[in-house]
Amino acid sequence: MTTLDTPAAVPAVPVAPASAAARAWRTVRSSRAATIGLAIVAVHVLIALLAPLLTSYDPIANNADQALLGPSWEHWAGTDQYGRDVLARVLYGGRYAIGVSVAATLVTLLIGTVVGCAAALRGGWFDDVLGRVLDAVLSVPSVLALLVIVTALGTGPSVIVLAIAVVYVPQVVRVVRGAALAVVPADYVTAARARGESTWAILRREILPNITDVVCVEFAMRASWVVLLISSLSFLGFGADPPTPDWGLMVAENRTAITVVPMASLAPIIALATLVVGLNLAADGLSKAWGVDRIREGS
Amino acid sequence: MTAIVSVTELSVAYRSGGSGGRDVPVVREVSLDVLPGQTHALVGESGSGKSTVAATLLGHLRHGSRVTGGSVRVGGADVFALPARELRRLRGGTVAMVAQNAGHALTPSMRIGRQIAEAGGDVPVVDLLEQVRLPRPAELARRYPHELSGGQQQRVAIAMAIAARPKVLVLDEPTTGLDVITQRGVLDLIGALRDELGLAAVLVSHDLGVVAHMADEVTVLRSGRVVEAAATGRLFAAPQDPYTRRLLASVPRLDDEGLALVGAAGEREVRPRAVVSGDAPVAVSARDVTIDYGSARAVDGVSFDVRRGEVLALVGESGSGKSTLAWALAGLRTPSGGTMTHAGGDRPSGDTKSGDLRSGDRESGDLARPAGKRPLSLRRRVQLVFQNADTSLNPRRSVGDAVRRPLRFFGTVGSRAEAVDRARQLISDVRLEPALAERLPAQLSGGQRQRIGIARALAGEPDVLIADEITTALDVSVQADVLRLLDDLRRERELACLFISHDLAVVRGLADRVVVLRHGVVVEEGPTDAVFSAPGHPYTRQLMAAVLEPLPGVGPVVDGGENTPPTNRRKPYTQGAP
Amino acid sequence: MFSFIARRAGAAIGTLFLSSVLVFLAVQALPGDVATQVLGKDATPDAVSALREKLKLDQPAWERYVDWIGGALHGDFGLSLVSGKAVGGEVGMYLGNSALIALVTVLFAVTGSIVLGILAGLYRDRWPDHLISTVSLIGMSVPEFVVATVLVLCFSVALPWFPAVVLYGPEASVGQLMPAVWLPALALAVVMAAYIVRMARTSVIDVMAGEFVTTARLKGLSTWRVVTRHALPSALLPTLHVIALNVAWLAGGVAVVENVFNYPGIGKLMLASVQNRDLPVIQAIALISAVVYVVCNLAADLGAMALNPKLRTRGRTR
Repeated sequence: MTTLDTPAAVPAVPVAPASAAARAWRTVRSSRAATIGLAIVAVHVLIALLAPLLTSYDPIANNADQALLGPSWEHWAGTDQYGRDVLARVLYGGRYAIGVSVAATLVTLLIGTVVGCAAALRGGWFDDVLGRVLDAVLSVPSVLALLVIVTALGTGPSVIVLAIAVVYVPQVVRVVRGAALAVVPADYVTAARARGESTWAILRREILPNITDVVCVEFAMRASWVVLLISSLSFLGFGADPPTPDWGLMVAENRTAITVVPMASLAPIIALATLVVGLNLAADGLSKAWGVDRIREGS
Repeated sequence: MTAIVSVTELSVAYRSGGSGGRDVPVVREVSLDVLPGQTHALVGESGSGKSTVAATLLGHLRHGSRVTGGSVRVGGADVFALPARELRRLRGGTVAMVAQNAGHALTPSMRIGRQIAEAGGDVPVVDLLEQVRLPRPAELARRYPHELSGGQQQRVAIAMAIAARPKVLVLDEPTTGLDVITQRGVLDLIGALRDELGLAAVLVSHDLGVVAHMADEVTVLRSGRVVEAAATGRLFAAPQDPYTRRLLASVPRLDDEGLALVGAAGEREVRPRAVVSGDAPVAVSARDVTIDYGSARAVDGVSFDVRRGEVLALVGESGSGKSTLAWALAGLRTPSGGTMTHAGGDRPSGDTKSGDLRSGDRESGDLARPAGKRPLSLRRRVQLVFQNADTSLNPRRSVGDAVRRPLRFFGTVGSRAEAVDRARQLISDVRLEPALAERLPAQLSGGQRQRIGIARALAGEPDVLIADEITTALDVSVQADVLRLLDDLRRERELACLFISHDLAVVRGLADRVVVLRHGVVVEEGPTDAVFSAPGHPYTRQLMAAVLEPLPGVGPVVDGGENTPPTNRRKPYTQGAP
Repeated sequence: MFSFIARRAGAAIGTLFLSSVLVFLAVQALPGDVATQVLGKDATPDAVSALREKLKLDQPAWERYVDWIGGALHGDFGLSLVSGKAVGGEVGMYLGNSALIALVTVLFAVTGSIVLGILAGLYRDRWPDHLISTVSLIGMSVPEFVVATVLVLCFSVALPWFPAVVLYGPEASVGQLMPAVWLPALALAVVMAAYIVRMARTSVIDVMAGEFVTTARLKGLSTWRVVTRHALPSALLPTLHVIALNVAWLAGGVAVVENVFNYPGIGKLMLASVQNRDLPVIQAIALISAVVYVVCNLAADLGAMALNPKLRTRGRTR
């Protein structure tokens, strides 16, 4: 294109740029950690969806004759103190954990992204006041806040989703705001401002496309925390109501019998840990592949 | 006399993308010798591998790079075969490095004095600071790096390098990012120290002017290969390789009376400046403009007019307020005083394709209002091109989209299909292949991106174009092309062009009139030829004297001294070339 | 320099005020009439109204807030609805026990994780890094109650070295509690360290790739000196705030672990008071946690100032 460096000026790339989705897929594929992580999560989702096909046992039906059995041909992971099949409960347990976590994370991220972007773009007093309020919310321990909300409104899944949103939105806002702040001074945003574009148009056209990677990583990361938090809540008896099959609840129920039927505690622990490891690996891999620097974005 | 530095057939490769990536050669079979006391320059554009070669003298490679062939010997020792302890002794003791950006090269959490003392040697820190001509050395030694100006930081880095009295000094773009006058001071210092201490030096630079002034021998690199190596006098007087010739020809000169057009073989043809007819209407008029940043006054009572088809250059060092003024005209800063008006008037004939002239287009517009409060027709007619093309295009959107958006937004085109056609037209107007429209910015070169930036500005069919240091981040050859494009466009479209630059030589060939700014005040103004042939203000003379031209044996360096205030308010977008 | 501290302290007080309001409002929003809750459904209307008056429930909310916050500033958090004792004293007792765990946790987690994080960062992409990163990934992926349960299984059941549960009440002496501190502290430390290790690793890698570290290396300095003098101050800066957040997190994190071990600390009290709707206790715990959060962040700011001369000397040059 110039008179001087004609040969090397045009980089060897496909002429038509691939679609954003294809591009994302390629980055995911390029990172082994992300591939493994997403695969683990996908397996968990599949198991949760297909649970009724994978086991013939009812996860909530008590059977006193079969209580506290060790692993056997009929009950691969044994039974718990009420005689329920542990494997069935673990398979079904993913439904609650994944369902509530995904819903909670989505809601949290949606609110957090919109508010975070707005704070970064608007700045000024809005940003200041928001920062103060978020800091105040953050200063209350998340477990306590969750407990209070759940006590006040009951333990339904929608309440848990709301409670998680209250606890985690401030953190997501911080991260997204940090990411957006890095984009806001860029000249292409300035150019859009000089054209006189509206705040919403700038947000949608210029800023959001440039922070999707941060938001995706945040989703994986946040989802892993949400899974942990929800299971902790269930463990404490404030999450899923018995006899709902839930991993945290299962550990709480079977912990006392851990010497008798260790599998009843270990199986849900393994399920929980693999899901979270999968999410963490995905978050790690994605952030490395996309070069998302979590230091700069705070927390 | 045996060479103190001897690089033989050195090849370096960089492994891309982790363990599965392939080797990308960055340096290919480069050889050079440096004799004691001699200065050897490595010249090339970005990506030529010049910095990589220089760093190997200290046995340093970037993370992921490795030597794939050849050797580097310094003071008789094979650098890459030395055991760790010996290598440490070599660094600092025999070879020392002055890095490109002293602001980043000094540890922010350590006092200056400690950092210099750490470098070893028996010379007291205060003496070293005195040697690099820093005032009040005892007090300075107790300061932290961020408390110094850019020029002072670079002097500290030099003091650190000469602390252990090395035999070879490696200077990696030692003055890039400094203002011309500061640059001149630092170069003088390096020259003086070199003679005083009998140092050999390896100077890495993209700036042929700097090289001409400093080096005894020059090696020209391109894509990791040696293109030409010769004594400085011979190289500049009679360059052999066509690449070297083109490179040299691309450098703008202070005595060019028009824009230099460079041919394929490096021949130079000066195109006479466009004649602006006396009755060309005034497009933008600024009167007593004052702009404040908090309590600091960035621009103080500046007035000027720009007529259609005319290029007005705003020249000054960083902190002179030139970019602030440009941003205010674009509606991104609100002036605190004075008036700025857009004269309105008819658009030039032959450029009324849209046929969509609203009555508002003919009225004069108030440019003192921020962009959001200007009427659409006014926003459209005053357009800004940014300094850094890397950040002025949205990396996630195709460049065609970047051009189409203002077309649609300003209503210059009616339908989507029409926008696609017009965008392709605009892209070819800036001398690019319309097929590039589907690319992402990262898939274009720096020069191509800057052209897209210009095309985006043209999409609004402006009659005023503000070019804010648009060639600063580009290599010289690319700069020459972009300047030519700008000159063509203003002729074709009768653009009133406000050209902002810190580089007097760049301004010389393009601008019709020059306004010299210092600390927000106009110190000199006039037709380009008049200002350059007889600069009236001492500051203008100082600026001109500080310009280094790529001619061998040009006059001795004038003592410029440091003129930047201690609180160096260099804004990020005025920082120099890569 | 002082203006920086003053500004941060002012912001901290502002945050505290806001969080106290939030806490108060949230607790007030708990449904149900407190007096009926406390006295039970069969209580006589007279008794209920007497309690309402005693609890000042008939006053407007803002007056009750002023009363409450005024008392809290003097250490008077009212009376527990359950035990009838002064909340301040009771919370203080549990808090002391928790502080024991927190101290041990912070000591181990912070020192250990910083060292490990730096090691991983320096040996980037080699085996020490892979090992440390994998372990910390697992540490992050397992909830506290699981770590605690596994620890009990290993060190109380299989190897009876530490007690699995605490048999003492909140009045237990330090000597009585000491044997029971280690397992909860270890469980918390594992989870907490994981985050700090990862952050320290990333920031060490970041700083080690920086220009000033390269310059220091090319000065011929030893690796030890380059790391300790040049890289660490800058590398610890971003880690500081993560540490502060994690220490503050302990205030809530202990809830789960203390319940596993039946440890008489603030976390157990928190859970019990939520179950019993002991509002004054909940408010007191929330407020104290907010103070911990704010103080930790303030400490991190001061630490940042010690590491970053730019913050210290701001007033001098500009």
